[in-house]
Amino acid sequence: MIKLWSSKSVQKENDENPFKIKFNLKENLILAFLIGSASVAILVSIAIIFTLAEGSISFFTDPLVDILEFFTGARWVPSGNNPSFGMLPLVSGTLLIAGGALLIGAPLGLAAALFLSEFASDRLRSIVKPIIEVLAGIPSIVYGFFALLIISPILRDTFEASYFNAASAIIVIAIMLLPIVISISDDAMKAVPHHLRESSLALGATKWETSTKVVMPAASSGIIASILLGLSRAIGETMVVLLAAGSIANLTLNPFDETMTMSAYIAKVATGDIPPGVAVSAGFTVGLVLFIITYIINMIAARVVIRIKTGSTVKKGKKVRFHNILNNFGSIILIFIKINSKIKNIKKYLRKSHPLTLERRYLKQKIGVNIIGGSIIITAVFLVFLLLNIISQGASGLSATFLTSFPSRFPSKAGILPVIIGSVYLMLLTLFFAAPLGVGAAIYLNEFAKDTRYTRFIRQIIQNLSGVPSIVFGLVGLTIFVRLFNFGPSLLSGSLTLTIMVLPIIIVATEEALKSVPDSFREAARGVGSTKWQTVHHHVLPNATPGILTGIILSLSRAIGETAPILFIAAVFAKTVPTSIFNGFLALPMQIFHWTTMPQEEFHILAASTIIVLLLILFSMNTIAIIIRHRAQVRRDW
Amino acid sequence: MSKENSNKVIHVKNVDVFYGNNHAIKDVTMDIEEKSVTAFIGPSGCGKSTLLRCLNRMNDEIVGCKTNGTIIWRDIDILSEEVDPVPLRRKAGMVFQKPNPFPKSIYDNIAYGSRIHGIRDKDKLDKIVEKSLMDAALFGEVGDRLEASAMSLSGGQQQRLCIARTLAIKPEIILMDEPCSALDPIATAKIEDLINTLKKKYTVVIVTHNMQQAARISDYTGFFYLGELIEFGKTKQIFENPKEELTENYMTGRFG
Repeated sequence: MIKLWSSKSVQKENDENPFKIKFNLKENLILAFLIGSASVAILVSIAIIFTLAEGSISFFTDPLVDILEFFTGARWVPSGNNPSFGMLPLVSGTLLIAGGALLIGAPLGLAAALFLSEFASDRLRSIVKPIIEVLAGIPSIVYGFFALLIISPILRDTFEASYFNAASAIIVIAIMLLPIVISISDDAMKAVPHHLRESSLALGATKWETSTKVVMPAASSGIIASILLGLSRAIGETMVVLLAAGSIANLTLNPFDETMTMSAYIAKVATGDIPPGVAVSAGFTVGLVLFIITYIINMIAARVVIRIKTGSTVKKGKKVRFHNILNNFGSIILIFIKINSKIKNIKKYLRKSHPLTLERRYLKQKIGVNIIGGSIIITAVFLVFLLLNIISQGASGLSATFLTSFPSRFPSKAGILPVIIGSVYLMLLTLFFAAPLGVGAAIYLNEFAKDTRYTRFIRQIIQNLSGVPSIVFGLVGLTIFVRLFNFGPSLLSGSLTLTIMVLPIIIVATEEALKSVPDSFREAARGVGSTKWQTVHHHVLPNATPGILTGIILSLSRAIGETAPILFIAAVFAKTVPTSIFNGFLALPMQIFHWTTMPQEEFHILAASTIIVLLLILFSMNTIAIIIRHRAQVRRDW
Repeated sequence: MSKENSNKVIHVKNVDVFYGNNHAIKDVTMDIEEKSVTAFIGPSGCGKSTLLRCLNRMNDEIVGCKTNGTIIWRDIDILSEEVDPVPLRRKAGMVFQKPNPFPKSIYDNIAYGSRIHGIRDKDKLDKIVEKSLMDAALFGEVGDRLEASAMSLSGGQQQRLCIARTLAIKPEIILMDEPCSALDPIATAKIEDLINTLKKKYTVVIVTHNMQQAARISDYTGFFYLGELIEFGKTKQIFENPKEELTENYMTGRFG
């Protein structure tokens, strides 16, 4: 019997098996495109490594350079008769500014997150969340303007700080970190299961005790990750330090002195303050160091999350040294947490002498909630202060002439028409490149990819790319698009640079939207005999479109506000509007930067007016995104 | 079981399924009768749904799932790597545990399968939709509002819509994975009536948690335990006179 069947089936398969796999050209072409999109991330990584390695090699092989001096020298003077490349001043400047910003930003952000997650009413949340989103959406060039022209004068008057000083950058970067720290910590605390809170409350703990002793420890992985990501952001931040902190590499930890960070030096390469030759390749080498530092911090952040999630050591077996080092970093952080809890135990022991009464516990709660609630007020006040200042400075400059004229050396005649046009072109081109690639990669990863080594590798790379400082993308754009592909300082180069920068953002947002489509739709479609692509095309994409569109709009608004990546590419002066993608272009953030660095105050007003225009554009893009999201939520019936 | 009957259509032979290291189905062999209702019963995690999902290769969609053995249907080993699951699923339609209509109109839900298989003619589609709804005993309730969203239907109606959607692609086998577990007793009764009608034209395989349901609607019953097929035979015999002690214990509620 068995033989009969099998012989028959062999015969059937050869001629009339209705289920025989046929080659489907359309499906295969689509799949090839999707895999290709996902693989772009690898090309981008190669481009980054190539750029940084090439520059570094030509730096280290230069006769003027001593490798040992580079890492241990305390004198960074790139120009002049006796150049010297000891990067310690740059490292100390970076540490001073990033560390200082974290010292202010992390407690403030954590407090705000704790308040939002555990104590704020839904109404208050719905007011505060948009404030944080606005803070996150303000481009760094605006913060830079604010640091140099508003915070810095105050510091000069009260603390006798120098014209350029680290402190103004520290304060402003601290505020810039808030959205990262708040949103990730808040998510982590919100994700703590409700029954943990209930069991603590049921034991007679106050709300304050529950949130500090149960919720925060349970969310510690997310909290640590948020702080690490904030740190890596602070280290990579360019525009604020470039504008406010100065251009002398001082080996100092005095925040009121002028300092230069690693990112600022790289930017100096673009602004032409550095003589060509070895000083420029020094910029690439500093870029490599900056890239490695932020990469390691981001890896540790990812490790900490994994370690605390799994609750134990990472699997042994694959003993790669690098991974061990990372694990050790993770252990150090865990040890800190443990020491902290030991200290708490000692405190508790000391406290036994005068026990906690109920009144004291309530008093503690009251003080605690007021303090963390205060952090929200500080944040809101800062935002209002920033916006009011910029509006009051810039509103007078807004006029029909301003919007319809070309930039000029005479402030009274200057306008930003070609600048707006340049930014719009830049954005449209970036949309054209980034949207298909980003959405394609996300579709591949979420709908088609199996959990193979290759896809895990791609995911890892995408995660790493999203942590690369934007000034490094600037270097990549300069080396790859402007020089290697010979596109010159053109719209094409600018938009491609922005494309590789926003690609990870679009991929993540699209994946998020795809994941929100219930699996039952996919199963149902597959169950009635849809192919994979039909399932995606007919059922997944239509339901994910609002989420995808929102993600694309938000990442474009990020792109249009970025200065550092196009610092090497965009022009600051033009007599015509670009007519081809190979033309040079002006862009809003670049123009703001240019006018902010001018000594005359009239130009500062022009910069403020340009900021208002940029913020209005960003604001309307965000409004469109919110409307799309809201309408989709109302319409959605699943 | 050994008695060869002319209208056994699906021959499951030595099928093993693994989810990673988990051996979910262990060497199952059974023959399924044409135009009858075969029920798979057993405690949770016994593998009954897994075996059902082998019959239209839905397990292919699960990462890390590996299937060995053969399932012969119409002289073809449908587990063979040369078989494309997409056309196979047209012939072996599936109804899922939770009603899962697409967020589209009632009409579009049912027409979808036919459309992707190339039918564009509006009159033809209208006929298919009407006939499928009739066959799924839903036309009377929704015939006048075919453009309404499928999401506006009740749970029981949604499940019958999913059955209609399956019927519309003209399958020969209908696989049902606990189709009533999310429904109230009245809706369940309607689906059970419907299954009774469907078996005149289709081979129905149903996974159910509810033993009374298996007794009421099925002609054949397979009892699964820990991935093994413990006993398989006529429903009457399995329920009234089980040969295996395990089956009897399960039937009498001593475990599971």
